[in-house]
Parts: sequence; C-alpha cells; structure tokens
Amino acid sequence: MITLTQLIQSLVTGVGVGLIYGLVGIGFCVIYNASGIVNFAQGVFVMLGGMICHAILSKFGMPMLLAALLSIPIVAISGILIEVLVVRPMWNRGAALFAIILATLATQIMIERITILTLGDQPRSFPEFTLGGPLKIGDIAIGYQYFWIMGCGALMVGLLWLFFTRTTMGRALRACSQNRESAALLGIPVSRMLMVSFALSAALGAVAGILVTPTQFTAYNVGTPFGVNGFIAAIIGGFGNAAGALAGGILLGILQALAIVIFGAGFKNVAALTVLLLVLFIFPSGIFAGLKGKSH
Amino acid sequence: MTSPSITSTRSLLRTLAPVAVVLTVMGIALMSSGYVVTVIGFAAIYGIFCTGLNFFMGYTGQASFGQNAFACLGGYGSAILCGGLYWDPLPAFFVSMAFSGIVAAIIGYPTLKLRGHYLAMATFALGLITYEISIEWVSLTQGYMGYSGIPPLGVGKFELVSEKHQLIALTVILLVGIWISTRLRDSRFGRALRAIAGSEPAAQALGVNVARYKLLAFVIAALYASAAGSLFAHFIGFISPEVFGGAMVVQSFTMLYLGGIGTTWGPAIGALIVSMLPEFLRGLKEMQDIAYAIILVSILIFAPRGVFALIGGWFRPKAKEGDAP
Repeated sequence: MITLTQLIQSLVTGVGVGLIYGLVGIGFCVIYNASGIVNFAQGVFVMLGGMICHAILSKFGMPMLLAALLSIPIVAISGILIEVLVVRPMWNRGAALFAIILATLATQIMIERITILTLGDQPRSFPEFTLGGPLKIGDIAIGYQYFWIMGCGALMVGLLWLFFTRTTMGRALRACSQNRESAALLGIPVSRMLMVSFALSAALGAVAGILVTPTQFTAYNVGTPFGVNGFIAAIIGGFGNAAGALAGGILLGILQALAIVIFGAGFKNVAALTVLLLVLFIFPSGIFAGLKGKSH
Repeated sequence: MTSPSITSTRSLLRTLAPVAVVLTVMGIALMSSGYVVTVIGFAAIYGIFCTGLNFFMGYTGQASFGQNAFACLGGYGSAILCGGLYWDPLPAFFVSMAFSGIVAAIIGYPTLKLRGHYLAMATFALGLITYEISIEWVSLTQGYMGYSGIPPLGVGKFELVSEKHQLIALTVILLVGIWISTRLRDSRFGRALRAIAGSEPAAQALGVNVARYKLLAFVIAALYASAAGSLFAHFIGFISPEVFGGAMVVQSFTMLYLGGIGTTWGPAIGALIVSMLPEFLRGLKEMQDIAYAIILVSILIFAPRGVFALIGGWFRPKAKEGDAP
C-alpha cells in the first residue's frame, strides 16, 4: 500500500518531471503552430542538451552555468540545421504530412547514431546544480535539483509568455499560427518563422535536457521517451496550445510518478503510452479542449 | 487502343522480369558462401514485411509507423511457442499470425479513426509499447538479453537445418506473398483500397466502406509482419527487442520508398537493394543506420514516389504510344 509520504514525494517529483515534459510539449506546439508540422525528432533536443552540456563540463571543466549557456545555442543550431536540410526542402515541394514525419524520425535515428560515434554510447550524468540535499520535511525528502527544475521551468514559461506577447517576432509567430496566408500577406516572412520555431523549440528541449540530467542520466537513446512524453503532454493539452501542453505535462508527470509507485519503474513508459492511446481515442482534441468544448 | 495480345505480352514481361531478378539473386546466393546466404535471407524476410506494409501504405495510402509491433508479436510468438514450449514451427507460425491479426483488428479499430499526425503517433506508440513490453516482461521474453535456442524452420521431423534450404523456403514464401499482393491489387478489394488512397470521400461516395477496408489492409499488413517476424526468429535462431526496434521502422520505410511505394514488386526489390547496401559500403559498418537515414531523407525529398518511379519517368514518352489513356 502507498504511504502518504510516498504519495507526496511522488507528487513532487512528478511535477518536476512533468514540467520537463511540458517544456518538450511546448516545443512541439511552437513548431506545429508555425507550420502544421509535427517534428518527431523533438526528443533528440533533450538528449543533445544533456549530452553536449556533459561533454563541455567534462572536457573543458567549465562552471555549470557557462556550460549550460553554451550548449543551448549549440542545440538551437542543430534545430536550425534540421529545418534547413530536412524539413524546408520537403515543405517547399509540398511533401505529404507523413513523409515529413518520417523524415524527422529518420533524422532522429541519424542524430542518435552520430552521437554514439562522437560522444560514445555509455550513459552519463552530471552533478546537481546545488550540491547537498535532499531537503527533508519530516519523512519527505526532495532533491535540490527539483527546485531548480521548477524554478527554471517557471522562468522559461514566463520568458516564453513575454516573447509571444511582447516581441515582434513572437507576435509574428502567433500570426503564422492563426493563418499563414494572411500572415504572409501582412509581410511576415513565414518560411523564416519556421526556422525561428525550430531554433526556439530546440532551445526549449535543450533546457529541459540540462535540467533533468542530474536527476537521472542521459545517453544517446533518451530522446524517444522524452519526445513521446512531450507529445503526450501536447496531446493532453489539445495540440498547439502551449499552456495546455504545460498543464498536460504536469498531469502526465504526476500520473507516471504514481504508476511507478504502483506498478514499478519498468512499466512507466508503457503506462504513459497507454495514456496516449486512451487520450487519442477518447479526447482527440485534448482533455482540456474536451472540458471547454461545451462553451463553444 | 492497344490490342489485348500486346498488352498481355507486356504485362507478362512486367511480371516475369522481377521474378527473374529475384530468382537470379537467390540462385547466386545459393552458390555463394554462408554469409551471402544470411544477407539475402534477411532481404527476403524484409521483403515479406515490406510487401505487407505496402498494402496499408502503398495501396491504401495510409501511414503506420508501428508495424514492427506485429513483427515483434510474430517473432516472440514463434520463439516462445517453439523455443519454450517445443511446438512445431508450422503451427507456431500460424498461431502467431492469427494472434497478430486479432491484435491488429482490435487495436486498429479505434486507431484507424485517427488522422494525420495523430494516426502517425498512435501507430508509432504501438511499436514502442511492444518494444517496452518485450524488454520489461522478462519472465516471458527474457528481456534485453534476447531469446535464443529457436529451432530452424521445418515440418514435423523434417527440419531445414542448412541455411541454404531455409533460404529456398524463404524465397518461396516471399514469392507467394508477392503473388497474393499482385492478385489482390487488381481485384475488387485492391481497387477499393486504391480508391481510398485517391480520395476518401470519393471512395465513400462510390460505396466503399472506407473504415472496413482500411482495417482489412491494416490487418493484412500485420499478418505479413508477423510472418516476417516468425521467419526471422527461425532463420537466425535468436531474437532480442532491438531487432524489432525503431531502426526497423526506418529501414523498412527506406526499402519501401527505394523500391517504389504502391507497386507490387517495389517492396521486395527495395528490400534486396537496401540489404545488400552494407556490403558495398564495407568499412562503414557503424555508419549503416546513418546511411539508411540519409538515403531515406533524400528519397523523400527528391523522389517521393520511389527511385524506380523517377527512373521510369525518364522513359515515359516512349511508353506513351502503347499506353492508351
């Protein structure tokens, strides 16, 4: 039987991991809104964030903050490369939706293999941002890293909100998501916005990867679970809705944490994938949209 | 109008040419060393898998990123029934196939109502779920380490011990699979599938039960996939979750697109070419998956209807005289 301590502890870790899923889910939404494309290689950015940050830390011995700030733009550039080399040529030729999805999936495998060849296939981790801990409240122990995840996650969401509401580029992206033709007629360079969206969502993935690595580990193949969970978060929130994706991520994180307590850690991905299928079958436009739908 | 005799000669040639290619390659393989036999055997197994996938993706124009789930069911079905419970390969083969078909029908029913990226993700999730289960359900599947000690193909006491005998069996099964695919393509059933690929509302208006035909195509693809999985288990004698992982999806799509999606022989030809590719790219062993991915992405960008459709396009003016519109 689950004790209260276990329950609270898994809720806290669930919210932490859920924020990570939410960030990946927002990454899906940013690209989808700008272009209608679903980038199946989204999880790769999480993997690259953790792996590149680890490589910089271990090779050059830089301080954590500097390594993180360096690896985020590197991953963003990889996002731009995917956009320029893979997605744009297909987009320009009017390729079928599933052909683009397939191409991004192939890109993910390609990047994973390149990562194995350059950085190795061994799982690795780096220390928590603040050493010491965990924080103890009664029987409940919470690692300091979870506070970092929650703090930085909230900060990212705030920054994103400012970006989308206060900057010209953010507003242009939102205009693209509402109607690409009219956005183009208003002089917004729609295809450049596609590149911006890839860079932005890659950067989001990188932040997620750097934040989450100290709590577990990273390896060339962690991308798929994060990508899939981020996708589930986006689906729960009603695809394309960034706030919904964040809420969906937190919900999924909590569900998974409970599933680990009840069924054991091995089946947490099976549980998440089952949630995905159920949500797709029962609420194809998202749980929150399903609740809100009555008001329309 | 062309006279029927010319058309039938041409179509006979079109049918016989790929048969000749496949038989020649198999013949060469039979005269070569064991390693070549293994490579060509893989090609035949993948050819069966892709021929099935072609029903769903080529003829019907749908997308499934999770057919590896059914190959996994077939592979583990045969492995557990033969390796663990000492069944004969043949009943195990058909029981696994029936099981995969039933699972495909049950899962496919709600899944195929989805469209676009939802359909893509839901099918992708199927492959991931079976992959995760095959790793985690250690008592049944032996987990990461994989399942070994699977007997070779055979009927009763007659076992195909030698790899070359197995290759002959694989070739026969592949040819039967393609023959079924060819026959079904131009049947009432196949025409209904192709009508769906053309336009779903139009097919519906013509009285095609779109949902049922999609599900049937999905189940057929799953049956082929299960057969391919079982054959793989018997041919190699060992399977692990990695065999049916995400790389299999990309590899089979590469074959399908290289050979020509929606054609009858394309999937098998594509499987043959892609399987032999690493032999020409020797020294690039660890780059193999990267090469597949690059090839696939280039085909998707530059020749989305397949390389042979692209080459065929160069000869089109010549064919115009004979082909009445």
